[in-house]
Amino acid sequence: MRVYEVFLKRAGKEEFRHAGALEAPDDQMALTYAREAYARRSEGAQMWLVQRANIVAADPADLATNQTKSHRHNDGSVIAARRKQKRAEAKAGGGND
Amino acid sequence: MAEMTDGAALSGKPAGLSPAATEYILAFADDEHMVGARHTTWIGLGPFLEEDLAFCSIAQDELGHAIALYTVVAESEGAAGEAGVDQLALLRAPDAYRSSWLAEWPCNDWAQAVVRHWLYDTAEALRWDAVAASTVPQLAAIVPGAQREEQFHTRHAAQFMAQVCTTAAAQIGTAIQELLPVAHTVWLPPVDEAAALAEGVATRSFAEMEQDWQALVEADLSKWGLPAALLRGQSASEQRQTDRTVRSPGFTPFHQDLVEVFSIDPAAVW
Repeated sequence: MRVYEVFLKRAGKEEFRHAGALEAPDDQMALTYAREAYARRSEGAQMWLVQRANIVAADPADLATNQTKSHRHNDGSVIAARRKQKRAEAKAGGGND
Repeated sequence: MAEMTDGAALSGKPAGLSPAATEYILAFADDEHMVGARHTTWIGLGPFLEEDLAFCSIAQDELGHAIALYTVVAESEGAAGEAGVDQLALLRAPDAYRSSWLAEWPCNDWAQAVVRHWLYDTAEALRWDAVAASTVPQLAAIVPGAQREEQFHTRHAAQFMAQVCTTAAAQIGTAIQELLPVAHTVWLPPVDEAAALAEGVATRSFAEMEQDWQALVEADLSKWGLPAALLRGQSASEQRQTDRTVRSPGFTPFHQDLVEVFSIDPAAVW
């Protein structure tokens, strides 16, 4: 038996999303089983199956070093705070500028 | 299932089926009902999760076909809705059913259940084709939806059989031998088939379809490396079921199981 990862896409502009996994002896049976296990209640208009063995997966340790780099996160809050402060200063200054 | 019943509801008024047409459709409906109900006994017991889901989904499809077919008959008798379907599906006396023993057979062994699935669905696909151009419009209307599902059922059966004929050829061979006495009963014609054919309920006789079926299942066996002769040696005339009015030995307790909950309160709304 092989393990397959199942991806479903609803009609329209939605992207393919991971739906789950299953075991099957070959590609054709995997399609048969995926139809029943993941799409029997019309959860998707398109379906991809990928053999898990064909997935190129990263080493989690390689990703771990990126977990603590706060300087790479910019959610705009620093700029927003600075602008808010400038507005408050301008108002306090009488708005003559 | 909604898709299936919509077709039957197209007419809006009772079709006024002839007795032969009613017999013809009931023979199909009862086969679908019995095989679907027997399949469902495998819920939770399939050999692995994926197969369990697929097999029981197929069972549900067959029950959907049965509902659609019963609806055609019920509406023709002016008994629309669930009550009319329940009356036909559950509340008839055993000798009023018209199912084949192949559909009624318990198949408590997984190998038998799989072999029956393959034999029955190969036959079922031919039967839907034969009523695609039926002169009973309510019957013809449910064919396209059923055919789409049947395409999947026969594909599933062939895929699974191809696998197990490689890995468990002896068990499958034994199961075929065990089912041989009932295999051909699916081709026992409906009561008064000639009259139904004359009025165009179907376009092919059961005898014609049985020949096609025999060729198809033998071709399958050869493809899977099993001897085609496994399914020979027993013509319809040698069956223990002589016609569709005769029920199989295990039918009565099975029927009692089917109606057990319903009988507690037939007026209950679920």
